[in-house]
Amino acid sequence: MSVDERAIGSLIDESSDLHRDSMHTTHASLQELVEVGREDATDRPEVHVSSAERNPLLRHGIGGGKALTALGAGGALLALMARPAFADQSSDVQMLQTATSIEILAVATYTAALALPFAGSLPKVVQTFATTTKQQHMDHQQAFSAAVRALGGQPQTKPDPVLLDVVNKAKPGLTGPVPLVELAITLEMGAAETYVAFVTTLTDKNARDTTASIMGVEAQHVAVLNAVKALVGAGHPEYITLPPPAAKLPAAAGSVGFPDAFYPYAMARPAAEGAVK
Amino acid sequence: MSTDTHEPIEPIEISEGQLRSMTADMDEMHHATLPVMKEALAEWSELHRQMRSGIAKVVPSRRGFLMGAGVTLGGLALAACGSSKSSTGAGGSATSPTSGTSTTTGGKLTGDLAVVALAASLENLAVQTYAAGISAATAGKLGAVPPAVVTFAQTAKSHHTQHAQAWNAVLAGAGKPMVTGVDKTVKDAVVDPAFAKVTDVGGLATLALTLENAAAATYLEAISVVSAPAGIKTAATIEPVELQHAAILNFVLGKYPVPDTFTKMDGARPVTDVIA
Repeated sequence: MSVDERAIGSLIDESSDLHRDSMHTTHASLQELVEVGREDATDRPEVHVSSAERNPLLRHGIGGGKALTALGAGGALLALMARPAFADQSSDVQMLQTATSIEILAVATYTAALALPFAGSLPKVVQTFATTTKQQHMDHQQAFSAAVRALGGQPQTKPDPVLLDVVNKAKPGLTGPVPLVELAITLEMGAAETYVAFVTTLTDKNARDTTASIMGVEAQHVAVLNAVKALVGAGHPEYITLPPPAAKLPAAAGSVGFPDAFYPYAMARPAAEGAVK
Repeated sequence: MSTDTHEPIEPIEISEGQLRSMTADMDEMHHATLPVMKEALAEWSELHRQMRSGIAKVVPSRRGFLMGAGVTLGGLALAACGSSKSSTGAGGSATSPTSGTSTTTGGKLTGDLAVVALAASLENLAVQTYAAGISAATAGKLGAVPPAVVTFAQTAKSHHTQHAQAWNAVLAGAGKPMVTGVDKTVKDAVVDPAFAKVTDVGGLATLALTLENAAAATYLEAISVVSAPAGIKTAATIEPVELQHAAILNFVLGKYPVPDTFTKMDGARPVTDVIA
């Protein structure tokens, strides 16, 4: 495998620089969060609160989560979509709590991914990406929690229940890089599309600005993961270097990272899905 | 510049079939997003129809969009111009056959529509620059150009063309003339000087990265200040795509592809930019 160690070192330095201003809130064990979320998802009380939502997104999400349905979470998703949101919380707070829950799950998933038996054999650039992306999601989580507090809400501490179910169902199949990258793409797309949808709905300017500043980052994660998936899937993880051997890449690799001219939001999660209950 | 543009093009080692299949799937996904855009544009057009008929009030932007933000131009120019290693570049300006002959400046527009005109002009400039880059590559002025880089440029150009069309559809829906010109402020101060020095793929990628980041920053600012929900929706569905372009360009240039934990408005263009 051709890895530019100097570039990797530089990357790590860059990563440290990028997070020099990051917050240092103590986090609960991420693995514990996953376990707690799993218990919560299997023993969640029914919600009986009704609410006159101001936007269909808050009831159904945009697009109804088609891709997640395809991944096997259809039943749970449809059940959740049928639930009303919570009348005692503002829509903005609910969306920010859901965003927090998505970030919590992303952090937990990247943490678990880095501990998989084959993680050490992944291209160094991919390992660095996973580590850096995990940190970025931690920062996003804190930013969303701060936005919740700013609106007088209670920050979410649990992962998104529906996406957690997707992760748990995918776990047994995480025996190699491709399914792992596919799971990461699913989560990142879910995050990015949810935030695109939320940005169009949030009424609080700070909440909208915060969400907008994060959605593009998740979209970038998707782009990188799409490229990684293509190269790993084609049996050439050695091409995942910084810079890549551009001359060796096929023409189609030039566009595999960004398939859409307009970012979709068919996989956007319902606003109240990850709200504090 | 860490990209070796002089490496000879070697035979393709990855299954084209696999990647083409993925590309076809993604193309289907792309077409699935078009109705979303049409919906947003229809909303915006309806809003402006109501505004014209007096049903809805014109709500000015929360603040003057990016007024005075032109100070960022220096940094933009610095980033763009520091990438090439020779003053003998692709030559001339980035003006391409795509540049319109009839120019609508959008200079008389105010509020959200001024932002729309600015967005269209930035997209037109991106289209023009990618087209010029592709032309230079085809003419052999950039040395060896990997096929993947050509595909990237063609796809990004196509995306920017569609973005420009989307913004111009908003203007048309509001009864305003479309913007066929480019952001001349950026073109004159950044693109043309940088493009004249571009001698290789790395130089072109660096220039493209500058434009993509400027567009993304502008849209991020637009999301924060425009009033019309449909305008926010339009910007929100385009900004992540520009950042995806930027991520791949960073990767090609040997830079970390997702450098910012939170995207920034630094480098956003003001509506005071000249469009011509």
